[in-house]
Amino acid sequence: MKTQYSRRGALSRLGGAIAGLLTLSAARTVKAAVQKVFVASGAPKDYDTTKHKWLMCIDVNKCIGCGLCVEACKKENGVPEGPYFRTWIERYVIPKPEPGSGQTRGETLVDSPNGGMHGFPPTPVPKDQIEHSFFVPKLCNLCEHSPCVQVCPVGATFDAPDGAVLIDPKYCIGCGFCIQACPYGCRFLSPVTKTAEKCTLCYHRITRGLKPACVEICPTQARIFGDLKNAGPDAPIRKFYENNRVSVLKPHLGTEPRLLYAGLDKEVR
Amino acid sequence: MRRFKLPPQILRLVLLTLAIVGSYLIARAFLTPASFGEFGWYRGEALVELRSRPPVYAGKQACDECHSDQLQKLAKFEHQTLSCEACHGVSREHADNPDVLPVKLTGSHCIRCHEANPSRPKWFKQIVVRDHYSGKCTECHVPHQPSQTP
Repeated sequence: MKTQYSRRGALSRLGGAIAGLLTLSAARTVKAAVQKVFVASGAPKDYDTTKHKWLMCIDVNKCIGCGLCVEACKKENGVPEGPYFRTWIERYVIPKPEPGSGQTRGETLVDSPNGGMHGFPPTPVPKDQIEHSFFVPKLCNLCEHSPCVQVCPVGATFDAPDGAVLIDPKYCIGCGFCIQACPYGCRFLSPVTKTAEKCTLCYHRITRGLKPACVEICPTQARIFGDLKNAGPDAPIRKFYENNRVSVLKPHLGTEPRLLYAGLDKEVR
Repeated sequence: MRRFKLPPQILRLVLLTLAIVGSYLIARAFLTPASFGEFGWYRGEALVELRSRPPVYAGKQACDECHSDQLQKLAKFEHQTLSCEACHGVSREHADNPDVLPVKLTGSHCIRCHEANPSRPKWFKQIVVRDHYSGKCTECHVPHQPSQTP
């Protein structure tokens, strides 16, 4: 039998759909209001995002490659087991040039077994053939002009007013655009939540007046963390600026990172 | 003079377009989260949600509340830059409730940092464990100030 369509029927169905939509949205608004009361109860209330500007500095000459920061980050943020890291340590081994090759140095070797969490195996080059070797801790570069934020199609990743680049796990659809866009490889797709994840600067810690877990745990104070808007003349970040010449990774990309390094070699990218 | 009259098929199209655009605008107004656009093109509420998670590491300040005597001594020692939890392990539960004892230490903590490695900076004290001593580190070194003997 052929279905009969009538104007009256179509209009009433349309009206029903609009009424349903309105009821649904009203219910969502109420749910959000109720949630806000409960969710916000655990969050520090006296934190104003617009009154801070966070900055991280790393002194490469102080890093001993113990891997405590990587372990602390995994524990603090529940980062999944396996090759997923919000911060990790890279080991650079630059061998001496072969005699008569006419080069300044040999070919650089970089490795990071399990992010450096459990230390490093013996160097692939014997000790007497190494010209330079050092560790470089890596994490989110806190770009002023973040490529990862520009590509997000749903507004799930953003530059917070205090300088942290964050991900809204409820809005992320796991498309992976930001993972490809990040020039520093600081993002990954979590196999647990199926959303993109990255260093949040331990946002739940810094808003409570604590240091990020990696900074807290670093035994040599290779990582220095501070607030540019509230830094007195004796603040560690001011001292870091005074005592070092700083550089950033991949400056030619124009991302203007707020992760500053002291003592970088040109091989580090 | 004949008055201009919009042809009925055009009128229907205009009304239909208005209805579609209007219902889109109404739906958007209701379905967009309240805090979207508070600071930028994202949910402002996400900032609150992200900072509501409790910290795992207690931090040196928390240790200072009860063990300030130890921390004052440590401030003069060689291991002054170390956080308590770097060696003593995650102690948040202990900080919240002193009856819960922190995780007991198990060897190899010294070697993790002090085993000789050509990639480590020259200023950092390193030993080749095989050539150094085969017993326990604490037989000759006080952990808080390694130059002292117990």
